[in-house]
Amino acid sequence: MAKILEGIRVFDLTIAAVGPWATKLLGALGADVIKVEAPGGDRLSHMVPPTIKGNSVLYISANHNKRMIELDLKKEADRAIALKIIAHSDVFVQNMRPGAVERLGLGYEVVAKINPRMIYVAASAYGRTGPMAGEAGIDPTVQSFCGWCGITGPKHGRGELFRHLAHLDLTTATTITQAVLQALIARERTGRGQRIEIEMLTAAMALQTTRLAEYFATGTQPAPLGSAAATTAPHQAFICEDQRYLAIGVERDEQWPGFCRALKLGELITDERFATNPLRVKHRDELIPILTERLKTKPAEWWTIRLNQEKVPNGLFLKFEELRNHPQVIANGHIVELNTPHWGQMAVDGLPWKFERTPAGPIRAGGKPGEHTAEVLRDLGIVDDRSVGVSK
Amino acid sequence: MNNAGSLDGFRVIDFTQGLCGPFCTMQLGDAGAEVIKIEPPAGDFARRMGPPFVGDESAVFLSLNRNKKSVVLDLETASGREAAARLTCGADVIVEDFAPNAAETVGLGYAQLQGANQKLVYCSITPFGEDGALRDAPGSELVVQAMAEYAASLGRIGDPPVRVGADVASLNTGIFAAQAILAALFHRIRTGEGQRVAVSEFGSLLHMRGIMWSSMSDPDDWYGFHLDHYTKPPDYGYQTKNGALYFILRRGNSEDWDRLVMELGMEEVLADPRFGDYGRAATSIGRYATEVKPIWEKAFENRTREELVDLVKSIGGDAVPIMDYPSLLAHPQVAALEAIAEIDHPTAGRLKMVRPVACFSETPESIRLPPPALGQHTEEVLRVTNFAASKSK
Repeated sequence: MAKILEGIRVFDLTIAAVGPWATKLLGALGADVIKVEAPGGDRLSHMVPPTIKGNSVLYISANHNKRMIELDLKKEADRAIALKIIAHSDVFVQNMRPGAVERLGLGYEVVAKINPRMIYVAASAYGRTGPMAGEAGIDPTVQSFCGWCGITGPKHGRGELFRHLAHLDLTTATTITQAVLQALIARERTGRGQRIEIEMLTAAMALQTTRLAEYFATGTQPAPLGSAAATTAPHQAFICEDQRYLAIGVERDEQWPGFCRALKLGELITDERFATNPLRVKHRDELIPILTERLKTKPAEWWTIRLNQEKVPNGLFLKFEELRNHPQVIANGHIVELNTPHWGQMAVDGLPWKFERTPAGPIRAGGKPGEHTAEVLRDLGIVDDRSVGVSK
Repeated sequence: MNNAGSLDGFRVIDFTQGLCGPFCTMQLGDAGAEVIKIEPPAGDFARRMGPPFVGDESAVFLSLNRNKKSVVLDLETASGREAAARLTCGADVIVEDFAPNAAETVGLGYAQLQGANQKLVYCSITPFGEDGALRDAPGSELVVQAMAEYAASLGRIGDPPVRVGADVASLNTGIFAAQAILAALFHRIRTGEGQRVAVSEFGSLLHMRGIMWSSMSDPDDWYGFHLDHYTKPPDYGYQTKNGALYFILRRGNSEDWDRLVMELGMEEVLADPRFGDYGRAATSIGRYATEVKPIWEKAFENRTREELVDLVKSIGGDAVPIMDYPSLLAHPQVAALEAIAEIDHPTAGRLKMVRPVACFSETPESIRLPPPALGQHTEEVLRVTNFAASKSK
C-alpha cells in the first residue's frame, strides 16, 4: 500500500535525539531517510548509556526507519557526494550548533541554490540570535532553563527535573516533524521550498502554554502541587486502603455528581461550595480532606470499579513490566516488540498515529553507521569515485 | 500566496474541548487554516478551568484558542445537528474527541460524513486508543500521566506521586494529532483521497518514552539515564549561594578541568576516580553525578550561580540557572527570540502567549484572531454557510 511520504527523500544531518527522532517519524510515514554521519558517528549519540550489545540505545531508538551512510563532509570528495544526494532530496534536517553546518558548506543558501524545492530545517537549543545564540543545549539544561522545574515537584515543595531526560528533546522533534509536513503542503501549492527554524526553548515553552497562562493572568509563579492539577479539582492522586495510589480526574462539571455517587458522598452533589469546577478549585483545601478520608477506607480496585461505573476518569500508577504486557498497550500497539538484526528483540515506541487508508510503518530498525552507504549511492546512481572504499 | 500560511484556504471544523484537541486546532489555525470551533451552549469545559480567570475568561482557555471562530450549536436538537451537517459538508478537516458513539448519535461519524465529502480528513482523539478494553474509558491529564508511568521519573520512592507540571498528555498528543492531519492533507493533495486518522493520549505519552522501553528490554548493564530514573532521588540541580543551576562538562580539556578545580578550591577531587575524564562522569548524566553532588554543592555554597554559570561556560561546559517563570520571562534570550506574542482581547485586555514555535521563511505562521467569546461568530458563520447551501440548491 502507498505510504504518505512515498517518494520524499530526507537528507538527515542530525545528532543526539532532537533531529533524529523527527526524521525517524518521517521515515515511519514512508520517506526515504538517509542519515549522514561522519565516520564513526558523533560522540554524543554513540556514547550515551545504556547500551544493548555495545550500541547506545539512544542511537538505536532515535534512528529507526532510516538508511545509515557515512560521509566525511570535511573532505571535498565526500562533500561532492553529499551535494549529489541533496540534489535528489526534498527535506534537509540538521540540529548542529548554529554555524556548524555553515562551516561544512551546507548552509541554507548553498543548499537552496542546488535545490530550490528543498525544505531545510535548522533546529537548535536557543536559536541564532540573542545572548545565548549558538549555545548548545541538552534536555536537562533546557528543562532547567525553560521554567518547567518550577511547576513540578511535591506539593509546595522544591521544584525538580523530570528524570526521563528526553521529553523536551522529543517535544522539539515532533515539532520539527509537524513543520516539515506543513512545508510539504505549502510546497505542493507554491512549488517552492523554504527554511524553517525551530528552537528547543520555544518548543519547551509552548508545551507549558497552559501553565504560563496562569502566570500571565496572576503575575504569581504557580507552585508545584504534587500530583494535583492547578485549574481543575478534584484532579489528583489519592492513597487507598491497600496503600496504592489512584489517579482521579474530574475535569468537567458533568463528571462531578457521578464522582460523588461513586464515593457514596451524595451530599456533596448539592454542597454549594463544590457546585462548579471554579468553586472546587477555590475550596480545594476543604474538599480534598473529605475525599482523602473516604478513599483510604477501601482498596484501589474497589474504587476503580465504582468510578468506572460512573464514567469518572481514574487509573493506577503503572510501571514498565505492567505496561509492556498491558492488554490495552498491546491491542493498540502503543509499545511493540521489534526484532532487529543487530540488537535482538526489543520493546520500542509504537507509532503515535493511525491512518485508515495509508497505514504508517512498519517500524524497521535503522542500522549501524555506514551500513547502507553503498546501497544508497547505488540507488541514487551516484558513482563513488573516492579512493577510500565506503563499504563496511 | 505571498506570506500566506501553509494552510491558507483550508477549513477546519473543531468539535473538541479541553486541552488536547484545542491545542491541535490552534496550531492548524496558526498555520493559516480557518478554524471553526463548535461549542455546546454551555461552552467548551475549558472555559471553566480555573481560577485564574482574566475578566470572565479562563486563562487556560485563552491560551489554547487563538485563531478560531466560536459557533454555538446544540447538537441535541435537530436544528443544531442540521447546521453542523451543513458546516461539515464544505470542511477540509474535522477534529473530534466525542465520548464513545456520541459522534454517530449526532450524525457526525466519519462513515456518515464521508459519502458527501470524499476529501474529508477526519481526526479522532481518544484517551487510550480505539482498540482494547479501555477504548471507551474516559481519561484526564493526570490519569494518562499515571498510567504511562510518568510519575516513575519524579519524586521519591515511597512518597506521594508527583506529576509533570505541564499538561503533557494533552499537549504532546495535540502535536501528534496535528501531524496526523497534516500528513493526511498532504496525501489528499497528491491523490485526492481523504481519510480518517486517530491519535490517543496514552499512546502519545508512551511513544515519548520509547528510548526507555528499548533501554529496559535487554540492557548490557543497569546503568544510564534511561534506566536509573527509576531509582534516583529527586533532581533539584545544584544549589548555589543564590539558587540552583544545572551544568554539564563535555568539551573541556585537561587545562580547563584543572582551572575549574582550582578556581573552586576542589583540588582533592583530582585524586578521586569518580571525577575522572575531566569530571565528565561527575556531573549531569555522568555515572557518579548523583553521589558526588554534595562535593560540588560544598564548593558552590559561597558563590552566586551567575558567577558559576560564567565559570563553567568559560571552560567549555554548559551551565544554566534553574529558572522559574518570572526569571525565564525576564531573560534577554526569551526577548531576543520574541517567544512571547501579544494580542488584544475585547474583554480580557492585552493577552500574552507563547508564539507559534516554528519560523517559516516563506509561509509564516501568524496570530490573527484573539480567543473567541462563546458563540461570537455563530451568526456570521451560519449566515455564510446557509447562503452557500441555498446557492448550491
